[in-house]
Amino acid sequence: MKYETVIGIEIHCELKTKTKMFSSAPVAFGEVANTCVNEVDLGHPGTLPCVNKEAVKLAIKAATALKCEIDPLVKFDRKNYYYSDLPKGFQITQQFHPIGKGGCIHIETKDGVEKDIRINRIHMEEDTAKQFHSEAGTLIDFNRAGTPLIEIVSEPDIRNGAEAAAYVEKLRTLLLYLGVSDVKMEEGSMRCDVNVSIREAGSDTFGTKTEVKNLNSISNVQKAIDAEVERQIALVSKGEKVVQATRRYDETQKTTILMRKKEGDVDYKFFPEPNIPPIRLDAAWIKDIQEHMEELPDERKARYMKENGLKEYDASVLVANRDLGDFFDAVCEHTKNFKKAANWVIVELPAALNKDNIKFANNPCEPKHLAAMINMVEAGEISGKQAKVVFEEIMKGKDPKTVVEEKGMKQMSDTSELLAMVTSVLDANPQSIEDFKNGKDRAVGFLVGQVMKASKGQANPALTNKLIQEELKKR
Amino acid sequence: MDFERARIEDVETRVKSAVERAKEKQEELNAVVSFVDVDSQLADLANKDPHAPLYGMPIVLKDNVNMKGVRTTASSRILDNYIPVYDAHISEKLKEAGAIVIAKSSMDELGMGGTNKNAYTGKVNNPWDTMRISGGSSGGSAVLVASGVVPFAIGTDTGDSVRKPAAYNGIIGMKPTYGRISRYGIIPYASSLDHVGYFTTAIEDAAVALEVLAGRDDRDMTSSYEPVPNYASDINSDIKGKKIAILDNVQEAITNAEIKENFDALMKKLQARGAIVEHVRFDDKLMRAMLPVYYIIANAEATANHSNLDGIRFGMREDGASVEEVMINSRTKGLCPYVRKRFVIGSYSLFEENQEKIFRKAQKVRRLIVEELKKALAGYDIVIASASGMIAPKSEDSQDEHLSKDVLVAENYMVMGNFSGYPSMSMPTGFVEGMPIGINMTAKPFAEQTLFNIGKAIEEETGLKGNDVEVDA
Repeated sequence: MKYETVIGIEIHCELKTKTKMFSSAPVAFGEVANTCVNEVDLGHPGTLPCVNKEAVKLAIKAATALKCEIDPLVKFDRKNYYYSDLPKGFQITQQFHPIGKGGCIHIETKDGVEKDIRINRIHMEEDTAKQFHSEAGTLIDFNRAGTPLIEIVSEPDIRNGAEAAAYVEKLRTLLLYLGVSDVKMEEGSMRCDVNVSIREAGSDTFGTKTEVKNLNSISNVQKAIDAEVERQIALVSKGEKVVQATRRYDETQKTTILMRKKEGDVDYKFFPEPNIPPIRLDAAWIKDIQEHMEELPDERKARYMKENGLKEYDASVLVANRDLGDFFDAVCEHTKNFKKAANWVIVELPAALNKDNIKFANNPCEPKHLAAMINMVEAGEISGKQAKVVFEEIMKGKDPKTVVEEKGMKQMSDTSELLAMVTSVLDANPQSIEDFKNGKDRAVGFLVGQVMKASKGQANPALTNKLIQEELKKR
Repeated sequence: MDFERARIEDVETRVKSAVERAKEKQEELNAVVSFVDVDSQLADLANKDPHAPLYGMPIVLKDNVNMKGVRTTASSRILDNYIPVYDAHISEKLKEAGAIVIAKSSMDELGMGGTNKNAYTGKVNNPWDTMRISGGSSGGSAVLVASGVVPFAIGTDTGDSVRKPAAYNGIIGMKPTYGRISRYGIIPYASSLDHVGYFTTAIEDAAVALEVLAGRDDRDMTSSYEPVPNYASDINSDIKGKKIAILDNVQEAITNAEIKENFDALMKKLQARGAIVEHVRFDDKLMRAMLPVYYIIANAEATANHSNLDGIRFGMREDGASVEEVMINSRTKGLCPYVRKRFVIGSYSLFEENQEKIFRKAQKVRRLIVEELKKALAGYDIVIASASGMIAPKSEDSQDEHLSKDVLVAENYMVMGNFSGYPSMSMPTGFVEGMPIGINMTAKPFAEQTLFNIGKAIEEETGLKGNDVEVDA
């Protein structure tokens, strides 16, 4: 039998706000445990929630970018369950009235498959505390408790691991560009749960799904799905049934592992949060947010291709790595040679940083220096070969003009000076002239090499080549 | 005792004698959960303006009002060791106004109950007859005012938890509009129904108190931006032309002839002052639905509100093999069976399969009741009725789970003030069998001034200003 895979993805993103969703305590990662908390985050008796306006703004940006319909009446609900990481014994979320509904996102897989994935909803909620279980007991860090989250729920439109990876990657870059979230999967500021089921190809009913939770990288999203699909197909092929359950992905065993079975759905007894009256958002405020949104990845890619004349591949690389893209934009403020700039930024810059094990955030190279160097090559002031040496120096924060002067690298582009050099090289190599006349073109290369040698590498190679050709024809 | 009489003594004497009286009466009334150190507060007065409205005034907080560093139990075993890390909004306001908190008072556990028999520290007795109940859930605060210990005490009102004990104890019980006073730092019962309220013995004092307590607080999103008027200086007992509607359903349900006569006589006096006294009648089905609707909504919200009491981060912790077991054991041991039963009922009404036919239906009926009240108040300044059809019951005769047709309408209608959030006040109007009785009136949203004005007229008619056991004796 031929099977079709059906995947829906739920993504939780921590919003990049200064304070928590419902309290004035700071949001921070990696701080000393239980230092970024106040009485609200700890669920102390008598505390009340107060909605963070910045969080609502970020949720609106995300909903807008995902083409969701925005509900101007913000309402919250309680999701009731007991767990030691949930201080109040309920989570404040948006069960009945999500801020965004019915959106869509366009994805493209590595193999070039393009499709639209529908978004079911985006809603705001609060994060739980972090727990550390050990034999000695359970330690709880409440710093994360109350951190603003958005949950983005896709429709079951995804058909394989590659599409899932493309979907998550697309969302990740989108939210990063919007400044909505740090989207660091490894730090948990973006978390991904996938619902996987299989069915007979062509069927329109759904099979029993399993949920694979806590995937900490995009490649693991793909691997986990591939492993889970394989497992489900093996089960069904043997005539066994898929059991509804929550599973996790084990990287070493490369398979999914049962966490807990689901005995029907848990009843969270959702009901409207009485302490937060419905908030009517000002239409002008929403409009203002939407009109002042950061450039989205697709828009940036289109700009690179249209305005900077980059190839799609280069544009994609710059968009996928926002740091590089931003750097490229900064370089382009000082040079018009966009293609060369893209090449340096995409290839040479990361390689140089990598070699010295420098993080991009600590990149010593200044965009205007790189631009100046590109302009010097363009003007023939230095050769491409010299540029590589200069680049090494500007990677130490130096100005290329200073480097060129210090190293005496000025490229010889003065025609009369070069012509004298060409003439003497030709005079010294009659055999090469002979070879040229007999149709051996590689003689030219040899002669250019001789001029370069004589000039200690400072001769402009293009100009030298041109002069040699002209001179040869005269002889 | 009213503010005026309290001020005869100097601050130190006033506060110290209040503490003494409270200690003297503790055995008889059992109203105090914790005494609060007054010395540091008195010393702090040096930094306060002597003209602050409550400068040096001894007061009492219901034990669900958080005061930083002061044990606050909500009369529940699970919070027996709870020391709040922050002040309730009103604790800050009262401190600013110069008030001295002498004690935290007993209440029905977590606000659940109307007798005050359901407190971890035991029942509270009515100072007019200690065989009788104080009423609840703000019973401790009510009796400390009624016994002349303090002139002012904070309570909270979710069903009628300020207004009913006020009536049983012959004092004023005020529950302002929802949002008028911030709830931040008040251990909740049911958030959509919870109100901060208070007890005084004089209308002027009630007006001064509200000026202190009212106002926007950014930490409570339901708190109102409505400006706070000068209630006290604006009091005007000229009620000529004021339109008063008697709620017939309640008066007809009352069987006690003396209470009815007292009420009717008062209405005649108000008419004589030029008020227009007429009658309204609510749909009887709605009147009878009030109590069940209240129970459903209150218990549902309460079960979620109190899910934080799990022994993990604060409060009593009972050991267990796992974190889950610690939570279960702490809650089982820390909460009384009556409260746990209420949580079960609350959860039941929230289950997905029940929510539509129980919880959501109750919400719909709540809206219908509010519509009925709104309609009545469209033509009148206040709706008035007896605050209770009986005097405070004997302790052995009263129980929270008792439900009969006799009491269904007359004893539970005041919850309409919580459903609607409209301001509502009880005050004494006389005595039956030596026990105080009173009336209750409800006005339009933020029309507290109307209650004070008509209340002032009533106070002038009854002469019960400053009423307490000591004065009466």
